[in-house]
Amino acid sequence: MLNNEAIQRLLPQRYPFLLIDTVLECIPKKKVVAVKNVTINEPFFAGHFPGAPVMPGVLIIEAMAQASIVLVAEEDEENPKKKSYYLGSVKIRFRHPVVPGDRLMITVEPIKLVSGAAIVSVRACVEDKEVALGEISLSIKEG
Amino acid sequence: MRNIEEEILTIIAEIIEKDPAEITLDAKFYEDLGVDSMMALEILTALEKKYRITIPEEKLPQITTLRETVAIAQEFLGRKEPADA
Repeated sequence: MLNNEAIQRLLPQRYPFLLIDTVLECIPKKKVVAVKNVTINEPFFAGHFPGAPVMPGVLIIEAMAQASIVLVAEEDEENPKKKSYYLGSVKIRFRHPVVPGDRLMITVEPIKLVSGAAIVSVRACVEDKEVALGEISLSIKEG
Repeated sequence: MRNIEEEILTIIAEIIEKDPAEITLDAKFYEDLGVDSMMALEILTALEKKYRITIPEEKLPQITTLRETVAIAQEFLGRKEPADA
């Protein structure tokens, strides 16, 4: 389990773009289960959509990508060389809308990990309902 | 030979989003077809999934043409003759 402080040591993203609140399970390079709590106070709900708040799919993808970084990141406090992460491709199917009050639980598992890149399978659930699933590839660059 | 070559051509065409006709046996992925390293990794991973093989990371730099890619798949399939996967 990683708290928000530990997550911020692994992820370069910050407010308002840190889309992982807590990590329930973290087996580096094997499996990550991360949580994004979605509240009505999210700034994007003001416009997406007025009177009918739905979490934008691209932000669900971003949360999945951040959970993927947790999977591949290596914490090295003696040599905190900053890494950059880039999405290479995204293949995601959305199955149900995500709305205020939802606890988005994201599970990431590796398909292929190599030095400098990863392809992972991702799945997002709200309670027992699968809301989005697919594959993400990302590249990891030093500096 | 023909079967596996056509299968791999289909896989590659889908990943790199090119018309299969453009992907000749010796067309250079990076120079001629706009492939980047992430696409090469996706090709390698798609081959692993399709043929249930494991291709080590060291082979990644050799994914440069259709001919080379077919050779890598065949090497790890441990066979020279065609067969339906």
